[in-house]
Amino acid sequence: MIDNYVYVIVALLPLSALMLVTQTNPYNALVIRAILGAVAALVYSVLGGADVALTEALVGTMLAVTLYVIAVRSSLVMRLGILAQKPDLTEDYITEFIASLRKVIKKHHLRLELVEYPDRDSLKQALLNREIHGICDRSGTSNIDNNPVYQTTIRVHRLFEILQKEFTYPDLKISYITPPNSEDKH
Amino acid sequence: MDSILIAMILALLIPIYEAWQDDDIWQKMLAFASIATKTSIMMLVISVLRDDWSIGVVAVITLSVGEAGLMLLAHLIKRLNEA
Amino acid sequence: MIDTLSYGLIIVGIIFWFWGTLPLIGNRSVLFKLHSLSVSDTLGSMAIVVGLLLKIPNEWSLLVLAIMTLAIWNTVLGYVLAYCSSSNEKIINKK
Repeated sequence: MIDNYVYVIVALLPLSALMLVTQTNPYNALVIRAILGAVAALVYSVLGGADVALTEALVGTMLAVTLYVIAVRSSLVMRLGILAQKPDLTEDYITEFIASLRKVIKKHHLRLELVEYPDRDSLKQALLNREIHGICDRSGTSNIDNNPVYQTTIRVHRLFEILQKEFTYPDLKISYITPPNSEDKH
Repeated sequence: MDSILIAMILALLIPIYEAWQDDDIWQKMLAFASIATKTSIMMLVISVLRDDWSIGVVAVITLSVGEAGLMLLAHLIKRLNEA
Repeated sequence: MIDTLSYGLIIVGIIFWFWGTLPLIGNRSVLFKLHSLSVSDTLGSMAIVVGLLLKIPNEWSLLVLAIMTLAIWNTVLGYVLAYCSSSNEKIINKK
């Protein structure tokens, strides 16, 4: 009574769902979610639910995936405060530093967003106000080879752990700070 | 007609496997493009097979919605890699 | 006569599908895969829909709409995907 191909088509749904839950990269998982939506629309229409299939195609494949890409993009970000660079003073070691930092946090699917502040006080204040996740500032030059020493202060503990474990850059100090008066905001 | 549908399901399994084993996001997007077209054509075939035109309308809408969603997603992912 | 023609078109369409989808597996570049996919997948899908149209001609409007959607949107989609993925590669090369 039920045709044979219906069983095979229905079996595609758990297959693609398994594929979805084994993904680690959030963006790859969202593309697989779109594939799951297409397969689900096929299954629903084979089983006779044309309205459910239409909803799945419109919401599951298009709307949810698009909105989730935007949401993931704006939440998986590390905001690092730096001092505003003077245009005549081209410091290429800071671009080198930023590039290697970007490489480390990219392994955890994070983006790096640089926020510039005019002076040290406003930089510090922004960290204490929880506007940014960390600051980076040069605190002098090392004695050995005259390279600048970077003092990086992070206020998110997980981020601090990741950087401490994986970020190996010469002349770099990483410290962790808990901002005072914890109003409940992040 | 049943064997035609089974052959279509076999053709659908190829991009699903490809989306599972390749880690590059653009290869996954290609696999998704292939799957979106194939599923809606399969829906059309089933609607003709059963002579049920509500499924046919859904198939055509899914066809164009899938492609539109794919283009939106492609532009978003491109922006993502630029920033 | 019409029946054999429509079955023949559907089978040719499925052969096109396999031909276009099999290059997806393998380590070729995105653009190569996109080319084979957009050409033979679209042609295969259109052949299948024409086969269905010959089988049941009284609901032709929906099937003609499907053919037009396939022809126009798949072409545009090919361009959009190629543009997005290749500009991405250029940026990586610049870095």
